[in-house]
Amino acid sequence: MALRVFGLNIVRSNRNLLKNAHKLSAPPSGYMAVAPFASEVTVQAAPAAVQKQKVSKAMRAYLKRANEHDEFMKTQHLEFQIGKRHLANMMGANAETFTQEDIDEAISYLFPSGLYDKKARPALKSPDVVFPARKAAEFDETGRPFHSMFYTGKPNFFQLLHDIVEETNKLADLEERLLRRGNKPDENQKLEMAGFQLLPKDQLELFLVESIADIEYSNFTKSMERLIASPYAYKSKSFIERFLKPLMDQSKQLEVPKPKIDEEGRQYITTYECLRKTARADVTVRFPGTGKISINGKDILYFEDENCKEQLLFPLQFSELLGKVDVEANVEGGGPSGQAGAIRWGIAMSLRSFVDQEMIESMRLAGLLTRDYRRRERKKFGQEGARRKYTWKKR
Amino acid sequence: MKMIRNRFGNLSRVSAQLQRHVQQMSTNAAAAPEEGAVINEFRTAVTNPGEHSALQVAKFYTIPAEQKKQIFAGGGLPKQYEQQIKTFTEACLMVRNPALELLQYIKATDLTKPVVRYVLYGENGTGKTLSMAHVLHYGALNDFLLVHVPWAPNWMKRPKEASNAAGQEGMIDLPFDAAAWLVHFKAQNSQLLQRLQLKTSKEYVWSKRESTPAGSSLIELVEHGIARIKYASETTAALIAELKQLSTAGQCKVMVAIDGFNAFFHPVTRIFSDNKQLVTPDRITLTQPFLDITNYDWTNGVCILSVDKIAMTEGHMDSHMPRYLLGQEGFEHLDPFVPVLVENYTDKEFHSYINYYLDRHWINKTPQGFEEQLKFMSNKNPYSLMQLVRAL
Repeated sequence: MALRVFGLNIVRSNRNLLKNAHKLSAPPSGYMAVAPFASEVTVQAAPAAVQKQKVSKAMRAYLKRANEHDEFMKTQHLEFQIGKRHLANMMGANAETFTQEDIDEAISYLFPSGLYDKKARPALKSPDVVFPARKAAEFDETGRPFHSMFYTGKPNFFQLLHDIVEETNKLADLEERLLRRGNKPDENQKLEMAGFQLLPKDQLELFLVESIADIEYSNFTKSMERLIASPYAYKSKSFIERFLKPLMDQSKQLEVPKPKIDEEGRQYITTYECLRKTARADVTVRFPGTGKISINGKDILYFEDENCKEQLLFPLQFSELLGKVDVEANVEGGGPSGQAGAIRWGIAMSLRSFVDQEMIESMRLAGLLTRDYRRRERKKFGQEGARRKYTWKKR
Repeated sequence: MKMIRNRFGNLSRVSAQLQRHVQQMSTNAAAAPEEGAVINEFRTAVTNPGEHSALQVAKFYTIPAEQKKQIFAGGGLPKQYEQQIKTFTEACLMVRNPALELLQYIKATDLTKPVVRYVLYGENGTGKTLSMAHVLHYGALNDFLLVHVPWAPNWMKRPKEASNAAGQEGMIDLPFDAAAWLVHFKAQNSQLLQRLQLKTSKEYVWSKRESTPAGSSLIELVEHGIARIKYASETTAALIAELKQLSTAGQCKVMVAIDGFNAFFHPVTRIFSDNKQLVTPDRITLTQPFLDITNYDWTNGVCILSVDKIAMTEGHMDSHMPRYLLGQEGFEHLDPFVPVLVENYTDKEFHSYINYYLDRHWINKTPQGFEEQLKFMSNKNPYSLMQLVRAL
């Protein structure tokens, strides 16, 4: 009896610990921080007292797997440490302060690789990064699951949906109560969604440590949108923000260089490295000007083709600065159309400094600020060109 | 409005119907002032190039049809400009600074002094030929005998026929081209020649049976050259030597106008000699007389020459400057000369040209800023503007 009580107590405390471990892992703390998962699970699973209890088959299998995994990770960690030490020695650095950045640098120096795919190149990374995190035990030693939604197969995901709906209902209640009192939502605190998007499916999967179907992901987005659409969404800002991701790093794009002043007192901007095909150019735009243009010391008749001249015309005409700025360009490499494209991009990038934010945005939408990465397509053997096949004749 | 403008602008078009319209108009609006009040701002009613001044800069004047036929029938206007003239049914030239400068020099020239050589130069398509045409028009109206070569490189680059010269060893004759030039000379000057009654100074013996006696008129000489194509080159040489003598003697005034003059100093031509080698321009019989007449050893004349990049062949087209295009030899031949730079349109000229195109309904669509865009695309270069607005 006592033993049983004792055992029960142990089980209970153990269970609490397990629960804690689950909680530690379950609150999504970003997919980078999933590493502690495995080790903690195994630590919890190890106590000898548990093994004396009546343990379910599932638990036993789980414990076995967990132990194996633990061992595996241990050896991996050891090997990683040794590898790191070797690298540090070879590079003549201190092994204790050798960081992951140093490792990457050392490898690219010692094992240079011409392989195209970056994933195919040699690398040395912490096993925590290389081997994906595994879920901790979701049931106690008697085989009873902790989570009420264990039998859905995706407890974390459905818990999340549940939480979202709960938040939504809470906000709806709040709205109704405040409406009855005659209060209105605070416009100033309105949730700013511009520049953010919901976590994409693959990131959400990492977050939940569960793989989800497309339809499930769309259920997630729909319920999140419903939550965000609520006028009091700012009340559950912290909840929503966990599932938001800032859009493409726009700050760099939007950062417009300040024009410099030349000796004549005119503003000017030089854009270097304007690339298109194999042409490269640097373009200087001066404001105010009279519409002069010089390309390698010649006027616009440097280009013989009409379409090349039109390429240069477009950004100036679009930004309504035609005849108001002077353009100087040095261009080399490539053919006429590549050179014209390079200069066009350079002009457009430089003109950002002389137009307002709205115009920059419409220039971006017009594709003027986008670099054109297209290159010549190679000829294929057995074909006449890149795509064209040899004439086929029956006989 | 348009009808009244036609009265001044279309002296060339002898259209009875329009004349009738104009008469009706003037009878209806008898109070309308006679001169210039209703003419378009980009046109000028002054059709005599001698009267052009800075007032008419960037304005169009019309060359009357019969004068155009007389002067430019055998060439002298660029082909595409000819097409444009045909389309617009009027031969309009813009009064531009280089031509005015030349006219001013010519008017101020003391003709008793050795001839002055004027060299028109400038980038491709800036209007050297048309400036020359403007001056030619002046010359034709002011009793100059015109010695006009519409495009000298034609002789070096694409001669009709090349044969060995009979008299001179190792020289090449271009009989058809020489005859064509004589026809052109005759067309330009027949009226004046008839009036002046110029005579040859010596007897020219072409063969045992053929000769032109001393004291025969120049027209006879020219006609002989045209009739006996074999002797056309020699006739040209004789004619030009006679003209030099006559003008030095004060019997006539001569205006020499040679377009693409640097072709005479190009390293090679495209003509093969008997031993299958390319000949140099100085071995063509036509070259010598025209080099002769551009010398300064005679009086009572003017020389207007143009040097042009496209008179050269590939590899010799790096610069448009006379020293580069003429080379050492040519530059020394012409030295000293008066260079006249022909440049792209000014803003005023450009605007005027656009107005002219609009008036001719040649530019139909006028979206906002089209003029600025054309200015940017053409860089105010006359030829590239013409190309930009051309028919498809």
